Amino acid sequence: MTTLEEHIAAAHPGADLGQTKDGTVFWRVSAGMIGDAVTLLQRAGVDRFLDLTAVDDPTRDDRFELNYLFYTSTGKRWFRLKARTNGDAPSITAQFAGADFYEREVFDLFGVRFVGHPNLTRLLLPDDWQGHPLRRDEPLGGEPVDFTVTRDVYGT
Amino acid sequence: MTTLDAKVPDAAPRQTLRINMGPQHPSTHGVLRLELELDGETVVECRPVIGYLHTGIEKSMESRNYMHAVAMTDRMDYLNPLGNNLAYALALEKLFGCPIPERATVGRVLLAELTRINSHLVWLGTAALDLGAMSTFLYAFREREELLDLFEELTGQRMMTSFIRPGGLADDMPEEWLQKTRKFNDALPRRIDEYEDLLTHNSIFKERTQGVGKLAVADAYALGVTGPLLRASGIAHDLRRAHPYCGYETYEFAVPTRTEGDCYARYLVRLLEMRESIKIVRQALDRMPGGEVRTSDRKVMPPPRRELQHSMEALIHHFKLYTEGLRPPPGEAYVGVESPRGELGFFVVSDGSGRPVRIHERAPSFANLQAIPVMAKGGLIADLVAVIASVDPIMGEVDR
Amino acid sequence: MPAEAMSAPSDLPPIVRDGERDTKDGAAAWALSRLQDWSREKSLWPATFGLACCAIEMMASAASKYDLARFGMELYRASPRQADLLIVSGRVAQKMAPVLREIYDQMPSPKWVIAMGDCAACGGVFNNYAIIQGVDKIVPVDVYVPGCPPRPEALIDGIIKLQQRIGMGHRRS
Repeated sequence: MTTLEEHIAAAHPGADLGQTKDGTVFWRVSAGMIGDAVTLLQRAGVDRFLDLTAVDDPTRDDRFELNYLFYTSTGKRWFRLKARTNGDAPSITAQFAGADFYEREVFDLFGVRFVGHPNLTRLLLPDDWQGHPLRRDEPLGGEPVDFTVTRDVYGT
Repeated sequence: MTTLDAKVPDAAPRQTLRINMGPQHPSTHGVLRLELELDGETVVECRPVIGYLHTGIEKSMESRNYMHAVAMTDRMDYLNPLGNNLAYALALEKLFGCPIPERATVGRVLLAELTRINSHLVWLGTAALDLGAMSTFLYAFREREELLDLFEELTGQRMMTSFIRPGGLADDMPEEWLQKTRKFNDALPRRIDEYEDLLTHNSIFKERTQGVGKLAVADAYALGVTGPLLRASGIAHDLRRAHPYCGYETYEFAVPTRTEGDCYARYLVRLLEMRESIKIVRQALDRMPGGEVRTSDRKVMPPPRRELQHSMEALIHHFKLYTEGLRPPPGEAYVGVESPRGELGFFVVSDGSGRPVRIHERAPSFANLQAIPVMAKGGLIADLVAVIASVDPIMGEVDR
Repeated sequence: MPAEAMSAPSDLPPIVRDGERDTKDGAAAWALSRLQDWSREKSLWPATFGLACCAIEMMASAASKYDLARFGMELYRASPRQADLLIVSGRVAQKMAPVLREIYDQMPSPKWVIAMGDCAACGGVFNNYAIIQGVDKIVPVDVYVPGCPPRPEALIDGIIKLQQRIGMGHRRS
């Protein structure tokens, strides 16, 4: 049985593969390649989409790193797909219907636009919300806490 | 003049009705909102609208340190707080690579399974209540109170215990507590028989759940559905068996499955899971080893109090840990655990500093919720209540 | 139209306190109003409004061990139109705030609000963009029940405290 890595290496020699600390293999692709990569993974036996999230680093140009998590029931293993983008990425809802909510969540909280998503609207925040709160340069919000002891000590 | 047998003119188009269910609705289990398109009583389309409990927990975690985040994991899935602690702790321990004492590992299994029983009890009570079976709710909460008394005795809190910490357990489990737990655990199978007496052969309950809300395996896979929903559709996928953590491979338990994929099958799977959890709890109690419950890695857990009295090094470790917090080595880690609702995992990204770069929860309810439209389509609106109940969504972890 | 009718109705009507009761209408009216307070006190109908973690404890306080029915307040109503007590059990997100206010507005007067738990009282541990820092920014709160989540005993104590105040004539409309 060919492993996922062999499938990927056969189609994309020199593919950027690595491992996270928990031992999950990841494949880093360019944002434009996400759709092809997912199709390849599907052909190689990946049958479940589990998770999608983004990690923001505003110091980079392509600041959002999308992290897809897949699972293959036959190989009994997780697999990660990573892609960096500065705001646009292809949607994978055609391949995995379960990505619908996840892409909307990333759009809502990070502002990454998934091209080809059937209904890319805000998911968690109100529709009229301004900004994307999970970006690193967005403030936490909330209000300053005025403890009684602060008033007593500083007389404010 | 009107005639009694006046027919609706053929030209009148068949209209569907859009109605809104929730976010304040007694059977949506929290603040789930469903936009329904109805043709008479039949659900033509169902669209979940979520976010009514969006708490910004992931953002709050980024602004605090790793230890503060433990308390927030409790509040994500508030029926499975110890399981959430466990998933977070395991991910963080992957980054540290620290050893966990055997007593802590067995204690984690014990607590995680007790929490699973607790969660399924609340599910059983509320799901039965949604279908009109009030007494099951009262019975289920009777046992839940006993269980929460145990949690309270051990941890000081009924629900938000934060007891499983990165590096082990917050405190040791006293011998009397273990004995009480054993007593409770031994009494539990008889109690589950009582629930079965109330529901399993209850013809009304069967009418309302059998053949309702069917989920095919292909849909479940495509939508990322995990947990009892998937097992009720015939796939024996349990992370405790497929990817054992905390030494689950050494425990004897079955992975209950059904093939019907309807609400009744999910009910049976959950009841059987409770019975399996009871077995695991008994095994954990039998094998509970002695020793420490905190890791020896002083970068993760503070040294025991007695060492502080005479060891300068221990004092420095203690001071560093409480002023700077945990500082995991840079990297990313994700560990999937089997929560009562499915695959739960925390994706933790560290840059080596005291504050997390990103902590993302892979929430089982979030994915399972997407299956509601599939299950509800073509069914009656009254069956929708049974479908929502059988999914067991916890809005705290859906919206985070 | 007279000028006073043109002005917008006050959002929060003044609280009527014990001792400030208008006695000029005579003893019979006074006794009648006491009777009214007493009956309101003994039959609080809470709205079923579960938000988050505290909702589980709210259910627990209605279930077997704690049994709110002992105090005459177990009749949870699914419709706010039939309820006179709103127990805000959990954190209120920005998206939920308009819904909460609408539910409150739908309840018939006189009505009371209990902020159950730290999140409803002040935002709790979630001092961030998503959570209303205290539900008293949206609806007037009569009793705050602290805890994260509060024990069922704490909620029952909160309701009993509210009952005592209702019995003394505390109401907002």
